[in-house]
Formats: sequence, C-alpha cells, structure tokens
Amino acid sequence: MYELLKSILVEDLRLTVDDVRPAAAREDAGLDSLAIVELTMVLNRRLGIDVTEDELLELETVADIAQLMEQRCARL
Amino acid sequence: MSRTGISARRRVGPGEATSDLAVQAGIAALKSAGGASVQAVVLATTTPDHPCPATAPDVAARLGLTGVAAFDVSAVCSGFLYGLATAVGFIAAGLADRVLLVAAEAFSTLLDPDDRTTVPIFGDGAGAVVLRRGSPDERGAIGPVMLGSDGERAHLITVEAGGSRQRSQGTAAGERAGYFQMQGREVYRHAIERMSAAATDALDAAGWRLDDVDRLALHQANARINAAVAARLGLPLDKTMQNIAQVGNTAGASIPILLAQATARADLAPGHRVLLAAFGGGLTWGAATLVWPELNVTAQQLEEPCTSC
Repeated sequence: MYELLKSILVEDLRLTVDDVRPAAAREDAGLDSLAIVELTMVLNRRLGIDVTEDELLELETVADIAQLMEQRCARL
Repeated sequence: MSRTGISARRRVGPGEATSDLAVQAGIAALKSAGGASVQAVVLATTTPDHPCPATAPDVAARLGLTGVAAFDVSAVCSGFLYGLATAVGFIAAGLADRVLLVAAEAFSTLLDPDDRTTVPIFGDGAGAVVLRRGSPDERGAIGPVMLGSDGERAHLITVEAGGSRQRSQGTAAGERAGYFQMQGREVYRHAIERMSAAATDALDAAGWRLDDVDRLALHQANARINAAVAARLGLPLDKTMQNIAQVGNTAGASIPILLAQATARADLAPGHRVLLAAFGGGLTWGAATLVWPELNVTAQQLEEPCTSC
C-alpha cells in the first residue's frame, strides 16, 4: 500500500520524490492542508477509499497514511 | 511566494473604484474592435461601485455609450463566463449585434487588511472583449457555454454583511462581517471537481476531443488547483496558461486578463483552440470553447504594483 500511496503523491500530487519517505512527517513530505484535500479526492475516486481531510490531518507520517489506507481499502 | 505562488498583485488607489478599471479596459477593447458601435454593455463584477445602482450604466456613459442597455452580472470568479453567456444570448436573441463585455474587480476593497489568508492572494484588475454577430465556423465563435451553480454551498465564499439579510436587522454589522471570507479547503475541493466537470461538458458539447485543445484558460485562483484540473482532464501543464504569479487572483476578471497577457507574449496565437473554465462563489462555475481569432490585444498594468502587501 505504501508504494501505491507514494506513486499517488509523486505522480498525481507532484510532490518531490525524495521528500516522500515512510518516516517523513506529513508536512515534510509536502502534504499541507490543500495537498491533503487533493489526496482525499484521489483516494476516493481512484481506489474507492473514503477518508476525511480531518482524519488525514491527524496522522503524523506518510507511513501512517498508508496504514489508514490499508484499513479502509475494501476488498473481496 | 512559496505558499501562495503569487509574487505581485495590483491594487486600486484610494478613492478608485471598479468602474475606473472597467472604463480603461472598455476603451482598450472598443479600440481593438475597430471602434464599431455596441448595443449593450455587460459588466461582470463582485465589487460594484455602489449597492445601487449597477455600475455598468456609468461605465457605458463614460465610454460614450449613453443610451445602450447596460447592467451588471454577479457570479464572483465565474463572472466572465456568466457574462460571456449573457452577451452571446443578447446577440443570439437579436437584442444586439455587438456587445461590450467587461469583467472588472476591485476585490481588494472586500478584504480584511489583517487577514493573511486572503490579502496576499487577491488582486484588482479588469479585462474586456467585444462580441459581434458571426458564423459558428469562423475563428472567435463562442462554443456552447456550460454554466452551473450550487447555492447549498453559498457559505463557502461570502461577504456576510452589506446586503438585505444584514441591513434588515437594523443593527450594525459585526466587525468582520463586512469582509470577504472563504473556507479554503472546501473551496479547493469543489473548484477542482466543478471546473474539471464543466470543462469536460463544454468539450463534449462542442464536439471537441481532448487532443483538440491547444490552450487551457482557467480562472486564476490557485496554481495548484489549475495543475490538478489539468491533470484530471489529462492535459499537459504546458498547455495550461498561468499568470497568477504576476497578478494574483483577480476574481471575475482573471480570464480576460489571462487571455490578453498570453496573447501579448504570443503564448496564445490565432488558431489556437482554447478551453475556458472558471469556478467561484455562489457556488458558480462555467466553461466554454473557442478558436482564438486575430486580435489587436492591449495588455496594460495598473500603475502601482503591490508586492509587499
């Protein structure tokens, strides 16, 4: 799930690839509040994952976001 | 600069008003159109000189057009596209052969000087075009204009006081109620979704494919919104025209200012197939297509750049 998140952050949100590391703090990775809005939209549209901006803003690192995606990802 | 992507913006001087900007833009557009007469003046603005009357009749009179139909259109940052639809409709209905459409904003007059979330973003400015009766297959013909609104989200972009809702209460407005307020995150989300959808609808209605688009002219609210819209549409960023870094968000005036500046620096050339889209308070949104014509375009700057405010 982390690699999927990373590809979204780099390709869709155009964050700097070197800043996106699992342990990187959300803001250090480039995920400010507007980027979080965009991320919720991409996750919902592309993967059907429902997360709110406030949920993501409470998380500290990129790895935390990947973990939440894992939890929310519906699967057969 | 890094947080807003805006390095300069221009402001009206003390005592200056929207009509003063509109008249300058109107003069340039009428001159560019060869001085032919117009039968209507449509002014798209969020910042009329007064709550009453509309500003367009004053603008028309100062342009030597006393007697023609003149009125304001209020659609905030979608103002140019709403005005465009109105002007096209005037011509289609036979009410006019030529219409002067001006979009002018003295948006800085709505801002709380202490609000660091809005003051660095918005700028003042005006743009104008003359539309004339023509045929659908000639350059400059306006394709189907797609418009929409969502009043359930009116609260996302608002100046609370100054209208009948507040004035009927008979008490003074709260200190901040007279200033522009915007819920940034929600606006960001809806701007991307609505502009993308409207742009796609306008393409479909015009019978264009995505590959047909040479230039994307989006309302200049935020460079990141525009990048996201371009990405969602599947258009490369180099087809997406930008001038927000130089002028800020000029609300309803953003698209004609962008078109004028892009033409002046030859980024926008005759024959280019242009997709326009805007989003703003209301909520309102709109999109349209046109093939850029041969025009004598004037782009001039307000005298005082305001880089420090």
